[in-house]
Amino acid sequence: MKYDSITEVIGDTPLVRIDQAVHGLRHIDLYAKMELLNPFGSLKDRAAWNMVRPHLAGAAERGDTLVELSSGNTAKALALIAGLHGLPFRSVTNRMKVPEIKDLLLLLGAEIDELPGRAECLDPTDTDDPLTRMYQTITAGGAGFLHTDQYFNDLNVEAHARGTGPEIVADLGGLVPDYFIACVGTAGSSTGVARALREHDPTVTVVGLVAEKSDFIPGIRNIDEVHEVGLFDPEVYDAIETISADDAIDGLLTLVRRCGTLAGPTGGGAYQGAVRHLRRLDAELTERRTAVFIVCDRVESYMSYVRERRPELFRQPARGNSVGTLTGDELAAAKVVGVADAQEWIVKDDPLIVDLRSAFAYRARHLEGSVNIVDELFGEMLQGGLPFGRGRPVLLVCPVGEKSARYAALLTRMGHPDARSLDGGVIAWRDAGAALVRD
Amino acid sequence: MASYLEARVEGDLRALLQQHDLLRTLVDAFGSPLNLVLPDQLVGNVEAFRAVHRDHRLAGQIFFAHKANRSSALVRELAATDAGIDVASLGELQHALGAGFAGHRIMATGPKSRDFLWLAARVGAVVNADSTAELTELAGLVAAHGLPPVRVMARLSGFSPAGVNVLVRASRFGIPADDLGPLWEVLEKYRDELDLHGFAYHLDTVGLPEKIAALEGCLRVLDEALERGLNPVAVDIGGGFGVNYLAHGAQWEQWTTELTSAVLGRTPPLTWNGHGYGLRNENGKVRGVLGLYPAYRPLTGAAYLDRLLASESPSLRRPLGSLLLESMGELYTEPGRALLDQCGVVLTRVEEVRPGPGGDLLIRVAANARDISLEEHGVLLDPVLVGGDRPGGDGPYGVYLLGNLCLESDLITRRKVFLPTLPSPGDLLAFPNTAGYFMDFSAGRPLMQPTAQTIAAYRDGGSWLWCLDEQYWPVDRREGTA
Repeated sequence: MKYDSITEVIGDTPLVRIDQAVHGLRHIDLYAKMELLNPFGSLKDRAAWNMVRPHLAGAAERGDTLVELSSGNTAKALALIAGLHGLPFRSVTNRMKVPEIKDLLLLLGAEIDELPGRAECLDPTDTDDPLTRMYQTITAGGAGFLHTDQYFNDLNVEAHARGTGPEIVADLGGLVPDYFIACVGTAGSSTGVARALREHDPTVTVVGLVAEKSDFIPGIRNIDEVHEVGLFDPEVYDAIETISADDAIDGLLTLVRRCGTLAGPTGGGAYQGAVRHLRRLDAELTERRTAVFIVCDRVESYMSYVRERRPELFRQPARGNSVGTLTGDELAAAKVVGVADAQEWIVKDDPLIVDLRSAFAYRARHLEGSVNIVDELFGEMLQGGLPFGRGRPVLLVCPVGEKSARYAALLTRMGHPDARSLDGGVIAWRDAGAALVRD
Repeated sequence: MASYLEARVEGDLRALLQQHDLLRTLVDAFGSPLNLVLPDQLVGNVEAFRAVHRDHRLAGQIFFAHKANRSSALVRELAATDAGIDVASLGELQHALGAGFAGHRIMATGPKSRDFLWLAARVGAVVNADSTAELTELAGLVAAHGLPPVRVMARLSGFSPAGVNVLVRASRFGIPADDLGPLWEVLEKYRDELDLHGFAYHLDTVGLPEKIAALEGCLRVLDEALERGLNPVAVDIGGGFGVNYLAHGAQWEQWTTELTSAVLGRTPPLTWNGHGYGLRNENGKVRGVLGLYPAYRPLTGAAYLDRLLASESPSLRRPLGSLLLESMGELYTEPGRALLDQCGVVLTRVEEVRPGPGGDLLIRVAANARDISLEEHGVLLDPVLVGGDRPGGDGPYGVYLLGNLCLESDLITRRKVFLPTLPSPGDLLAFPNTAGYFMDFSAGRPLMQPTAQTIAAYRDGGSWLWCLDEQYWPVDRREGTA
């Protein structure tokens, strides 16, 4: 298909049935609305485009800056749209919680303003919160800001009332699903879709999912935070239930591993919340029902989020030449040389001096004639065997003599006849008054 | 429904609060309010910080922030350890010296009078300077009085994480990290008077990312100083390690949810006159920011320090503790309340219990809000009714705790507190874990109401011993335990 602009590709995403063998519901057909297949990678493409489109004419000539209080998918979509139209984009956020998305926004040319964290020493007289000050800056007359205001802008809701919702009905052959389960973030998608579905059939059950307060889920608000959202109306939802970060990751794993769907934690949370809610109903149903949830975005931006909470998912087996495999006896047998003896040995035998510290520290001060191989890199090099000849003695140096002793033990196990560790490390060297140089 | 915020009470503090007869005797003798401090717990908290230094192989010093508590017993006990002390006034400096701290274990911080600067330089304390003007004044004093060179730290400010503008409000303190030209000039001009010992920051935030950016920034400045031929030794990362005041995270989560609901008018008020603690209702939406200390914090104290050191520098891609160690830098910290966790309790006598407006119960204690400055510091926790765990408690009772001043604002806490048992006049209410900043931090003598005396309590075998704070010295106890 031929398009004149990538924005024409927004919307019209597929509705995909989840295999019953995966979710285990006997009387309910469960469908995923694949919003991750929007051109910018998420459901927010719809809201971003719908909110900003009416203001784009003449914006570049006026010198407007697009601004949104978002650090996630809305910011990403707006940054891309701003770039298309030659506009700067500014993201204002409490905290860039997902480092991959921060990097992506910087790549897209966005400017990022972070609000400060909570104070350790509270000042009760400071009643003007940073977000209010930011609103005042944005709304000041003639400020040159185009604020899409996703939490209060009804065009956010309309994007889904006129797009996402009707698509679901059309894909189900004109029928409304019996259940719609949605995560609450800006509440735009859940409100808009619910509005569209209820226009067809007021009996549809709408379930809202909020995050547990103890750990955040990207894109989902907790039960306190939803009350800050202008678009949030509790009357939209027949029930509001809570999901945890663990739920979100469990759901994510099911979708990526068994459903061929590269869902992020929000989609994972929606799936897990949907199945948990529906399982209670399924036991009593006698007729076939349908349910729809939304897969909001893709998983690739959340590797650090998952790794932090489920490190075992990324575990690699220990490799052969690794300090982790050294025995106590091997460690105890490592050759260690004190500062005075090392100085004598350096003059006499000219060992290769390997400094295992970071380049930052090495550049500042190091032993004269040493080479810098950071410990992690040195460990990688040893996987392929000794990186220097056995005929050359080696002196290993680290800050306090611990890491160097382990690597000396490893080199000895690998067959090097004369690998020694500097006892006490570079700090002992300095404290002994021995020379350090800065090239 | 009852909204408890049960205080986290552990170790010796828990044991002390079970000595009902002892507590009553002490209040009978010394009056209400009464501060009790536990010097031994302070030693344990210092050791927890030391353990983090050892784990990361970092040399350095822990400087207790004196302003967190003025107790002589605590400061003297601290002097008997290997920790240092951070003093923020001439009076605190004199107190630290009199408690047994030699000058080299003292760091002078904050706004400084000329007298303060002179005495700090005279005794060989480290001067943590907020500005180049302060360094200039200090150098002048050193020259005029023929003093030896003074070790100085330069306090920096204005760090930003890479790629991001942090919209912090302007701080009074520190030299801008992005404009160090004047600093280098002063240090060069006065190299005979000022001995640059290192760089410092102190961020008023609970957030790790800002501290990561600051520590990384200090490491870069350290490197630049070396390039200029200076020889700084240490990075001082200030305080802000925090205390977890509550026993149950779920209670804190539930209470803050209910506060949001109350502010929106969906449920009855939880606070005196519907105080929102920074939250307000605008057209049915919550606005503002919750202006409370996060009373439930799983990551605090030494564990917070450990987490910070293990965090990776975004641009140098290495744990910050490793970078500091590899740069041969030492780590200085200035914990305040974190070193006073579980170190004390304020005891008060209940004077009146009566119905208030709207059916709430009012309890007036023989103390005022400045004796137990929880409200001033935004900390919410439940007091303990001494002996209140008797069986058959018919609560919970929702009560407001009032102070003894004739001021409408004199509430010990604006929050409706729930007690499992209703106290009677004469009963004792204990406010636990108040040694850090909450013991008469701003108490005065309005209406000649008594201010609290302070008692040091400690274990001797199976017994509890106590003495007046000003009469506590670690001498005999140290000899006895040897």
